[in-house]
Amino acid sequence: MTETTYLIWLLLIPLALSLVAFAARWLDGLGRVLVEGAHLASVTLVLILSLVTVGAVLTSGPIFGLGNWLHLDALGTIFLLIIGVVGFLVGLYSIGYTRHDMETGEFDVNKLSTYYGLFNLFLFTMLLVVTSNNIIMMWVALEATTLGSAFLVGIYGHRSSLEAAWKYIIICTVGVAFGLYGTVLIYSDAFNVMQVPGNAVLWTEIVKNTGTLDPALIKMAFVFVLVGFGTKAGLFPMHAWLPDAHSEAPSPVSAMLSAVLLNCALLIIFRFATISNLVLGPSFAQTLFLIFGAISVVAAAFFMYAQRDIKRLLAYSSTENIGLIMLAFGIGGPAGIFAGLLQAINHSLVKSLLFCTSGNILIKYHSRNLDRVKGMLHAIPASGVLMMIGALALVGTPPFNIFLSKFFIISSGLGAGYTWLMILCLLILVVVFAAFFRVITSTLFGERPDDVSKGESNWLTLVPGAILTVLILVLGLYIPTQLITLLNGASGLVLTGDPNQANMLVNIQNLLMPLANILP
Amino acid sequence: MSNVALVNSLTGLLILTSLLVIEVKRPRWSALMYSLQSLVLVIIFLVLAYTNEAEQLYLWVISAFITKVVLVPWLLYGALTRVGDPEKPRNVIGTTLSFFIAAIALTVSFVVVNQIHLKAAEPFKPALAVSMAHFFFGVLCILTQRNLFKQVLGFCLMENGSHLTLALLAYNAPEIVEIGIATDAVFAVVIMIVLGQQIYKSLGTLDTSDLSTLKG
Repeated sequence: MTETTYLIWLLLIPLALSLVAFAARWLDGLGRVLVEGAHLASVTLVLILSLVTVGAVLTSGPIFGLGNWLHLDALGTIFLLIIGVVGFLVGLYSIGYTRHDMETGEFDVNKLSTYYGLFNLFLFTMLLVVTSNNIIMMWVALEATTLGSAFLVGIYGHRSSLEAAWKYIIICTVGVAFGLYGTVLIYSDAFNVMQVPGNAVLWTEIVKNTGTLDPALIKMAFVFVLVGFGTKAGLFPMHAWLPDAHSEAPSPVSAMLSAVLLNCALLIIFRFATISNLVLGPSFAQTLFLIFGAISVVAAAFFMYAQRDIKRLLAYSSTENIGLIMLAFGIGGPAGIFAGLLQAINHSLVKSLLFCTSGNILIKYHSRNLDRVKGMLHAIPASGVLMMIGALALVGTPPFNIFLSKFFIISSGLGAGYTWLMILCLLILVVVFAAFFRVITSTLFGERPDDVSKGESNWLTLVPGAILTVLILVLGLYIPTQLITLLNGASGLVLTGDPNQANMLVNIQNLLMPLANILP
Repeated sequence: MSNVALVNSLTGLLILTSLLVIEVKRPRWSALMYSLQSLVLVIIFLVLAYTNEAEQLYLWVISAFITKVVLVPWLLYGALTRVGDPEKPRNVIGTTLSFFIAAIALTVSFVVVNQIHLKAAEPFKPALAVSMAHFFFGVLCILTQRNLFKQVLGFCLMENGSHLTLALLAYNAPEIVEIGIATDAVFAVVIMIVLGQQIYKSLGTLDTSDLSTLKG
C-alpha cells in the first residue's frame, strides 16, 4: 500500500462504515451488533491508519493524493493524530455510554443506528478537513462537520437539545459562511495572479505564490477567515453555540466536539495564517490572535467560575483553552507556535477524559448540576478518581501534560517580551484553578444522595478514561522525539510555509529554562 | 448601456430584493422573494458570461438557476406550507432601523472594496461592494428575524453574496468549485429545514424567542 492509498482509505473507511451503521436498522435482531461492530471497526481502523500515515509523513515528508486535492504535512499530521487517538478512545466509550441509553429506553435500535451513522460521518468530515489541500474543499468539509453533528447534538429530541442543535447549526453555518467569503477572496486573488490559475485552489500552490497576492485583499480575507472559522473554534465573542451544544449533546459527542472539532477549525485558521504571514508579515495575524486569544481566556474564566452545570463549565473551559492556543500563536515565533500546538494536543486528551467522566456522572446521578453531584468517591470511585486527575491536569498541575504546554506558553511569552500579558494570563489561570478546585471538592466528597446507588455502569465507560489518564501522565513527563519533530515542522509551516526551516527548531531546554531556575 | 454598467445596475435590484426577503410579513413570500433575487443573480451571471466570454459561467447559470431559483425556494415554501406558514413574529428591531443598518453596511462595503487593487475587480467595484454588503444583509436578517425559516433565508442571502463575489473576481473558476459551494449550501438549507420542522413538531413554535431554555 502506498502513502497515498493510506489517505484514501483513511477517508473511505469511516464513510463506508457510517453507511453500514445507517443501514443496519433494517436488520431486526442483528441490527445492534452490526451497528456496534461497524463503529468499532471504523474507529479502530482510523486509529491504525492515522498512526501509519503519521509514520509515513515522518519518514518521507508530505503526502499528496487525488490530483493534489489531498495533502498531509507536519501540521495536518498533528491534527490527524488527535482525530485518530481521541476518535478511537471516545468511540470506544460511546459503546458503553449508548448501551446504558439502550437499557434505559432513551435509545432504540433506530436511534442507535442514526447515532453511529452520524458519529462516523462526523469523523469522516473531520478527517477530510485535516487532509484537504483544496481550500474550497476544506471549507466544504468544515461546513459538513456542522451538518453531520447538528443532529447528534439534538439526538435526544428534548426541548433543550433541539434548542442547542438549532443554535449550533445557525451560528456555525453563519460563521462558516464568513469563512467561505474569506476563502473566496483568497482564491479569487490567487486565481487572477497565478501562472496556472487552475492551481489557485490548492493551499500548497498559493503558499508558493504569495509574493504576487494583493495585501489589502489578503488582510480583508484573513479577518473574514478568523471571525468565520473562529466561530466554529469557539472563540469569544462568537462562542455562543458552544456551551449549549456541548452540554446538551450526548457526552461522547461533547468530547468529540470539544477535543477534535474545535481543533479542525483552528487548523484551517492556521493554514490561512501561513498565507497571511507570507503576504503581510507575521505581525498582522499575531495581533489578531493576541486580541481574540486574550479576551477568550479572560471571558471564559469568569463564565466558568459562575457555572453550576458541570458540562457547561467544561464547555467554557474549551473556549479558555482555545483562547490559550490562540494566545500562543499570537506570541508567535517557533516557540509560541510549538507551545500552542502542544497545548492543542494536551487539551484534547484531557478534555475528552473529562467529558467521558461527565457522562459517567450523568449515567449515575441523572444530573449535571454541581449541587446534586456529591460523594462520587462513594458512588462511582473509579470515575471520581478519573475526574480528579482530569481536573487537576486541566488546570495545569504537574506532573500532567497541560502543565508542560502551559509552562511553554508562559515561557515563550516572557521570552518574546509579553511580560504583563503573561502576568494577566497567570492571574486568570488562578480563577480557572479556583473554578475546578470547587468542582473537585464539591463532587468527590460529601454525602452521596440517597437515590444514587453504588457502582459504575459498565467497564467500557472506564477503560478509555484509564488509557487517556496514562497518556496524560506520560506526555507530562516525556515528549517523544517524533512529536517534537512534527511540532517543529508544523511551526516552520505556519511561519514560512516550509516545514524544513532549520532556524525554526525549538530548543526544549530553552523553554524549560525558567523551570530549572525555580526547582531546587 | 454597456454590459459592465448593466451588471453594476442589476446589483441594485439585489439590494431591493434582499430588503424584501427580510421585511415581507409572510415567510412564504420571503421564499418567493428569494427566488426572485436569485433570478436577478442568474441574469447577472449571464451578462458576466457574455461580457467576459467565460464559458464556465454559463454552467454556473444553469446550476444557480436549478439550486437557487427553483430548489431552495421550493423546499422552503413547501416546509412553510407544512407548518401552516405562521405570520412572522415581531422583528428584533424596526424596519426603519433595519434599513438604516443596511445603508451603513453598504457604505462600509464601498469603502472597503475601494482598497482592493485587483485588476479583475476594477470595472466591477460597485457590484463587488454590493455583493459584500449583500453578505451583511444576510447577517442582518439572521440577527433581526425571530422566525427560524427567515433565519435560513438569511443564510441564503449571505451565500448569494459570496457567490456573486466569486463570479465577479474569478469568473473562469472551474465549475467544480462552484458546484462544491452550491451543493454544500443546498445541504445546509435541507438540514436546517429538517431541524426547523422537528422543532415545530416537538415544541409547536418557529419563534426563536421561545427557544430560551439554555442560558448562562
